[in-house]
Amino acid sequence: MKNTFLSTLIVASLLLMTGCSEYPGLDAPATRPNKDPYPSTYIVPDNAAFAILNANVLTGDGAELRDTDLLVRKGKIIALGTNLDLDASVSLIDAKGQWVTPGLIDVHSHMGVYSAPGTANHSDGNEMTSPVTAQVWAEHSVWPEDPQFEKALAGGVTTVQILPGSGNLIGGRGVTLKNIPSITVQGMKFPGAPYSLKMACGENPKRVYGSRNTLPSTRMGNMAGYRAAWIEASDYKKSWDDYISDAEAGKDVDPPSRNLRLETLEGVLQGDIRIHNHCYKADEMAQMIDMSKEFGYEIAAFHHAVEAYKAAPMLAENDICGVMWADWWGFKQEAFDMVRENIALVDYAQACAIIHSDDPIQIQRLNQEIAKAMSAGNRMGLDISPAKAFRWGTYNAAKSLGLEDKIGSIALGKNADIVLWTEHPLSVYSHASKVWIDGALRFDRDDPSVQPTSDFNLGIIKAGAVRP
Amino acid sequence: MKYTLPLLALTLVSTLASASSILVKDADIYASSGLMVKTNLYIENGKIAAIGERTPLTADLEIQGLGMSVTAGLFNSSTQLGTVEVNAIEQTVDFYSENEAVTASLRIAEAFNPRSTLIPHNRVHGLTHSLLVPESATHLFSGQVALVQLGNQPKVIHQSLAVALDFTEHGVSLMGGSRAAALVQLRQALDDAKDFSRNRKAALAGEHRDYVLSYADLAALEPVVNGTKPLLVRTNRASDISTILNLAKDFQLQLILSSVLEGWMVADEIASADVPVIIDPIHNLPNSYESLGARLDNAKLLADAGVMLLFTGMDWHNTHNAYLVRQSAGNAVANGLNKSVAIAAMTTNPAQLFDAPVSGDIAVGDIADLVLWSGDPLEVTSEAELVIINGEIVPMESRALQLRDRYFERLKQ
Repeated sequence: MKNTFLSTLIVASLLLMTGCSEYPGLDAPATRPNKDPYPSTYIVPDNAAFAILNANVLTGDGAELRDTDLLVRKGKIIALGTNLDLDASVSLIDAKGQWVTPGLIDVHSHMGVYSAPGTANHSDGNEMTSPVTAQVWAEHSVWPEDPQFEKALAGGVTTVQILPGSGNLIGGRGVTLKNIPSITVQGMKFPGAPYSLKMACGENPKRVYGSRNTLPSTRMGNMAGYRAAWIEASDYKKSWDDYISDAEAGKDVDPPSRNLRLETLEGVLQGDIRIHNHCYKADEMAQMIDMSKEFGYEIAAFHHAVEAYKAAPMLAENDICGVMWADWWGFKQEAFDMVRENIALVDYAQACAIIHSDDPIQIQRLNQEIAKAMSAGNRMGLDISPAKAFRWGTYNAAKSLGLEDKIGSIALGKNADIVLWTEHPLSVYSHASKVWIDGALRFDRDDPSVQPTSDFNLGIIKAGAVRP
Repeated sequence: MKYTLPLLALTLVSTLASASSILVKDADIYASSGLMVKTNLYIENGKIAAIGERTPLTADLEIQGLGMSVTAGLFNSSTQLGTVEVNAIEQTVDFYSENEAVTASLRIAEAFNPRSTLIPHNRVHGLTHSLLVPESATHLFSGQVALVQLGNQPKVIHQSLAVALDFTEHGVSLMGGSRAAALVQLRQALDDAKDFSRNRKAALAGEHRDYVLSYADLAALEPVVNGTKPLLVRTNRASDISTILNLAKDFQLQLILSSVLEGWMVADEIASADVPVIIDPIHNLPNSYESLGARLDNAKLLADAGVMLLFTGMDWHNTHNAYLVRQSAGNAVANGLNKSVAIAAMTTNPAQLFDAPVSGDIAVGDIADLVLWSGDPLEVTSEAELVIINGEIVPMESRALQLRDRYFERLKQ
């Protein structure tokens, strides 16, 4: 009686430990911890098929199509061309003389982690309590009601990468969101998007920690800090690799203790998590590239790359994107060597050039920032077409996020993230007229019922009123 | 819109910097009298000598301006140009002081560096004048506002056009954190300045009562309380704007308002007080609790009410890229503002209000202070082809252009 009771307890506890395995405690394979414990709950809304007719299209991957029709069904672009075969169920939008582009993508935003109003309670973007905080995830800070999101949507921005700030050497994980209203950040998360890791070169980390008299207080201290972290991460990865191979060899082994900080860095070494690296200066980019080779990982992009034009051949050779502003400069020494032709010159050197905002004002008009960068390039004789320039905010941005097979261009099979513009999209006078995400109309300049506003604005903006 | 831009200016103009006569043919001219489409403009010895059919047929420098446009040189009405080189390097930052003993008496003009690398960068993109406005670090009063000209020899035009005061949440935070407490101190300062003005001799001889502010600060405020120099007040919340309008009325002050993110809510009050406003029309976010009502058509709604506008911007780039005021203006037009009103907010309005040595206009007899744009004057794809400041052609040279040329040579190899 006593023994039976005990053995029942043991079986029950084994069940608890291993879940509902059919053979508890026996054949459960040794695995790494769940890589997606806060999964996206976003579902593509059901929407009737629609077609945009007679539009001028900047495809987002470098082409311009005149008088073109495109058909959207079940959230995807399924036909593109002229004289499409459209059945009666398809609703039609005549866009004669109007311009269509893919949704804009901002790969560097702090919306939700530095929400408006910019009060201390909303300062959730920089965990500046230790120089390496790879354990923090930006999505755990995002306030989905940040009233900045809806303004970016009105500017045609459909996808955003939300990053932690740059006070730390390794600031934490970034997350890619669809720019839709949601109660939860899980409802905005782009299904299947890779995670990113924010790293920062230069002045910020050494200033933040140097002022506290701790490492790093110098650029060499910065490098020592990253390298120490990668050494730890390499050891951690080995401990898990050993555990899994031992377990698979039938040995009775316990899994290593989880370490959130090293788990993220290990994800980089495994190629799952993409490095987005705040790095202004060409010389520091070279150090970061050598370090990636020392430890065996890849860099997706250098952000705020004010000196990318100096490093352009190096970026092209290593397939690293330069993420740039059109004209920001002078706020720090590392941002002093600005040229307005930066993006154009990186493109000229056949490296991947991207526009970014890092700013809730400029995210509302990335089209104008692209236009300025194009104009500067053309002024020096580079002959950049609008179609080519628009890649900087669409296809190239998608590529840096590892999402170029889903978004970033108007092409068959791609997600129907589409913007219809009131004027040529590279004009200062142009507005996004309609914005679709996965074929769902999320913003309509002519219809206040399709201009979502945050809970925050209720009682501030009168019911039914629209505030540009 | 033009996407392929002619490359005439960079080379041609620099070789003809000494041209005594310039003929721009068939450009669209934006003047306060109206838009003159496809019109000739003739400049001789630094002055606009003829417009339209009466222009001569030849000149030392002739420019085919078809598809281009001409505006007066641009003003940015709130910058710190020449008083900062790199914001994060405090040794280069002179537009505020953390010394509590210096408030209204700070003259930002005395820190102006005409050799700043920021000046050529801004003038090659069409900025010809800018207002220098000090910022508050210890007190509501930040100092005295100056006008500078960004020509080949950049110079201070007016040392002290106004006294600047910060009645935003930032300014209030410096005075104990309550708007009400800040107002007590503000009224006290103004009363003291009046008292000082009436008893100047005794006060300076040490035979009068004590004041909170220094004699230098009170002396700086004297023309303000006597109504001969404007107080330039930065403020945002609609109720704060009303408070300042009432205070200015009580003390019979000349007033200029700045920032006014919720100005549209009290546009009629501002208009009936006949107070000009310096605004950046790019703002539409509730970035703070004093700007919950910010909206992109603030400029349009103020103009509709009859308020005189002066522009700054774009956003915090109003110094290193002060020329981007033009992009802010373009966005104001995209959000409903009349285009000539937007251009006036960067040209004639500041030229008149700040008593500039140029007219801010394109009219026969005026000193040439103008820009030839490659296309529409507010379009982000338009570039400055030719910039003339106070009658002189500006060379298209800057540190950024030197860097560009150096690295383009390397990339071409």
